[in-house]
Amino acid sequence: MSERFDDTSDEMLGRRLAGELPRHTAPARLRVSIVDAATPRSRRPAWLMPMLTAAATAMVLVLAVMPVLPRIVPADPVQRYVRAVVSEHSRAIMWGARHGEVLPTALPWLTQESGISLNRVFVGDERLTFVAAEPVYLERQRGVAIHYKDSDGHMISYVALPAVGLTVPDRERVQIERWRPALLRDSGFASWVWKQGDVGCFLVSDMVSTDDIERFKEYFVRIRVATEPVPAY
Amino acid sequence: MADPDFQGQALQHLDALYNFAMYLTKRPPDADDLVQETYLRAFRFSHRFQPGTHLRAWLFQILRNTFLTFYRVREREAAVAEDGVPDWDPPMFHDAPEDDGATMEAHTDLERAMRRLPEEFRTVLLLAEVEGLPLEEVARVMVCPVGTVKSRIFRAKERLRGLLRDYETK
Repeated sequence: MSERFDDTSDEMLGRRLAGELPRHTAPARLRVSIVDAATPRSRRPAWLMPMLTAAATAMVLVLAVMPVLPRIVPADPVQRYVRAVVSEHSRAIMWGARHGEVLPTALPWLTQESGISLNRVFVGDERLTFVAAEPVYLERQRGVAIHYKDSDGHMISYVALPAVGLTVPDRERVQIERWRPALLRDSGFASWVWKQGDVGCFLVSDMVSTDDIERFKEYFVRIRVATEPVPAY
Repeated sequence: MADPDFQGQALQHLDALYNFAMYLTKRPPDADDLVQETYLRAFRFSHRFQPGTHLRAWLFQILRNTFLTFYRVREREAAVAEDGVPDWDPPMFHDAPEDDGATMEAHTDLERAMRRLPEEFRTVLLLAEVEGLPLEEVARVMVCPVGTVKSRIFRAKERLRGLLRDYETK
């Protein structure tokens, strides 16, 4: 080959490049893969969008009419009360008291707003810290709610409502010292239910385990001993 | 994405682009990837192509830019030593290293010599002499003046002749 290059001009070299340099041909699969990659991916099925639209519309309608839909309300009045008290307790956990007041300063105002007079009231001790007191409106009754917190962070809500016809169910009653409140559960919360005269009293907490219930009994005793609600009017 | 007509026209140059990619990357899998990436970019940016201009030159330009952007970077990253100091030389006008075992075998001295040319020389010879692109188009692909293209062709041929002579003496 040497003699070929001794006298190779630029032009000759150019011709050699054009004529002798091996050309590489693209494999057939490359063309296929390019076309595949360039083709838009299959679109969504034609039925998908109308289906989603219909589902979204249905969901909006359900949300719109939900407030007027009939609700399943427990037939048992005690359960209804407990459910209302638990809802109030959940709301207090989430958002705090609406009109949190300090005891005993706010007692006159609380009595006026709630219709419940607290002759004596538990304002907290080394185990339970008073958080707030406020008037509430549950089961078409005005009442009073007092919120406490224990050292482990459990929120405990005491609610007193006028409940003339309310009967504490015997089957759920538990003997605690000299009292026999009923222990009812609803929505993952435990509630002590008892009556003091014509006032229904409820003590709600998320303390539901066996150990917690024992502690919850102690809290019941502390509050029961020191609190005396009576109808104000 | 581009319309089917544009895709059809662009794919007519597949073999030329693949050949160019093979001489740039020296490895068939890399050439496959490079050509595919070139086409996808061309289709994606087909609206930027000015009808009436040289489609083939435009595709060559995309391919070369893609090569310089990604494959060069990858080569450099691979060449970084463990102590973090890069062990490559500036690419401009330095001979490429001898092929390693992973590259495709060169069958002729001419092919072997072409592969040893620096990328700038290889490209200019492939486009101007092998593909027959006008110098103006080569200049557009390489983003340099036509005078620079002429100068590079001249120097590339000199370098090529030198390499061929070396092979003869060996």
